[in-house]
Amino acid sequence: MTPRTPMTSGARSTSGSPATSGASVAELTAVEWSAAGARVLGPIDLRVRAGECLMVVGPNGAGKTTLLRLLAGVLDPSRGSVLWGGREMRQLGRRALARRIAYVPQVRPARVPLTVGELVLQGRYPHFRRFQVGPAAEDLAAVERALDRVGIGRLRDRPLDELSGGERQAAWIAAALAQEAEILVLDEPTTHLDPRHQREVVNLVGRLRHDSSGTVVAATHDLNFAYHLADRIVALADGRILACEGPEEFVSRGRATELFGAPFEVVRGGARPVTVLELGS
Amino acid sequence: MRHGGAAGGAGFVGRTAARSLVGAFVALVAVTLVVAVVALLVGEESVSLSDSLVEGSRDAVILWRLRLPRVLLGLLAGGALAVSGLSFQTVFRNPLAEPYTLGVASGAALGASFVIVLGGGFAVGLPWISLAAFAGALAIGGVIVGLSASRRGVRSETLLLAGIALSITCSAMILLLQSQGTMDQRSHIVQWMMGSLAVVGYREVGWLALWTALGSAVLVGHRWELDVLLTGEEVAAGRGVDLRRVRVGVLAAVSAMVGALVAVTGPIGFVGLIVPHILRRLVGPGHLVLTPACLLGGGAFLVFCDLVARTLPRGMDLPVGVVTALVGGVFFLWLLLGRGGAGR
Repeated sequence: MTPRTPMTSGARSTSGSPATSGASVAELTAVEWSAAGARVLGPIDLRVRAGECLMVVGPNGAGKTTLLRLLAGVLDPSRGSVLWGGREMRQLGRRALARRIAYVPQVRPARVPLTVGELVLQGRYPHFRRFQVGPAAEDLAAVERALDRVGIGRLRDRPLDELSGGERQAAWIAAALAQEAEILVLDEPTTHLDPRHQREVVNLVGRLRHDSSGTVVAATHDLNFAYHLADRIVALADGRILACEGPEEFVSRGRATELFGAPFEVVRGGARPVTVLELGS
Repeated sequence: MRHGGAAGGAGFVGRTAARSLVGAFVALVAVTLVVAVVALLVGEESVSLSDSLVEGSRDAVILWRLRLPRVLLGLLAGGALAVSGLSFQTVFRNPLAEPYTLGVASGAALGASFVIVLGGGFAVGLPWISLAAFAGALAIGGVIVGLSASRRGVRSETLLLAGIALSITCSAMILLLQSQGTMDQRSHIVQWMMGSLAVVGYREVGWLALWTALGSAVLVGHRWELDVLLTGEEVAAGRGVDLRRVRVGVLAAVSAMVGALVAVTGPIGFVGLIVPHILRRLVGPGHLVLTPACLLGGGAFLVFCDLVARTLPRGMDLPVGVVTALVGGVFFLWLLLGRGGAGR
């Protein structure tokens, strides 16, 4: 149940019009995931198209993180298949998969005893050869590129634990970029950040989208973040896909209220709509 | 410099960090040598190096037949314990993890006790006792790995409690075995359970050297994966780390080392807890550097504790396990309470 949607009004296309014509990089077919006999997610059908920005929204417990984990190969589906470039994910091997998809989870250890540079270098792990003693020149070059793209070269020698929340998020994203994968998967990248840092992270993701033809899949609670960048929005509720459509359709059909059971006011005027949660009774 | 050298990234160890890393290693080697030499010469009977070179002299017998194998055994056992503790702390993401606290050492002791009692005393060869200890360590380690890898995820406190529960169970079964043994076997097992470096020959040293070398090589082979695991299991899986393979590899390596050393020395606690924490502050968390540092530092620490055990209380040869447990118990509490460490 992947509804074909017309290209969203503001979609930037990097190669043709990705939102309609792009070949799919990943394909989830009848995917389910269960834990202890209870179905958490699915069955779900979803195609991630090359070059698109796909945002996953939905209430707490809808299965957003599970969906991203399945996509990233961190979880194996209980049923159904996940295809990568036409190949079954499990046949691909973990490291090969990590060269195609880079995943930034939301929940990470509170303390990580690494500097920014060391963290970003770890993004090169799937590219290391078996008996490689230290990082190769190409690894160091990829680290430089990643630091540059995110704009945190100056933080290279700083311990991760001493950074602000926004800087830390940028460092994790840089580490994922160093994987040089086709798809970047972000799980709630703006959660727990103050408005300034939220804005920085949103702008960073937007910039990454502009600079390359990379595909981005992100889960978020921040609807405006989704409207601002998404080519398509996946509305997830109770482990099922309610809709998969462009931001305009999402707004005009009142999906936010349908999903969250809360009233939203839509503000128009800019290139993309903005919603505001109505408080009070 | 605290962070220098992590991820083994030569490109990221700055010039000063690299120099202080070399400095730290030179210091570590020096400390190890000094401790070893002092441990060779000092004891209930002081010996002089010059006299010990005279063949057949009293000093020569003490130094070459008694002290040297004991010191070598201490270096190997301490090193093996420390690298085991280090890899457990990383894999289980728990600062309090080590073979002793997670019950793996008790499992090994149970396996060894089985062979000692059922095999009719110490007539059975070292390989058999080691094998049984290895099996015991592997069994307990398997349970711990299974718990930690379960889908629902086990909190670190739960993991430690499970380790303690397994430890108690193993101890009870060892007591059961003891009660079935002869008087001789009983006293021997009691002595052996305290953990001691006493009464060994070069055969035991060679045996332990083999397994320590193999186990450490496997752990160093997993250095990248262990480094990436510092960022958590979910991130590591996303980077392409095969978590199951790493867990099984580390468990096998640690079980082999712990099995071999428990068969010789009995279970010695807390070396694997203390040494990695101290050295992490000195050389950073990267496993390419930290693993050899632990191999050296663990050896020096255990030989030092053994020196204390056999010289401080005049006239009594205290088992080294008593000393490490005394130091380690306090250190454990400090980690648990002082640093809020268990929630790392």
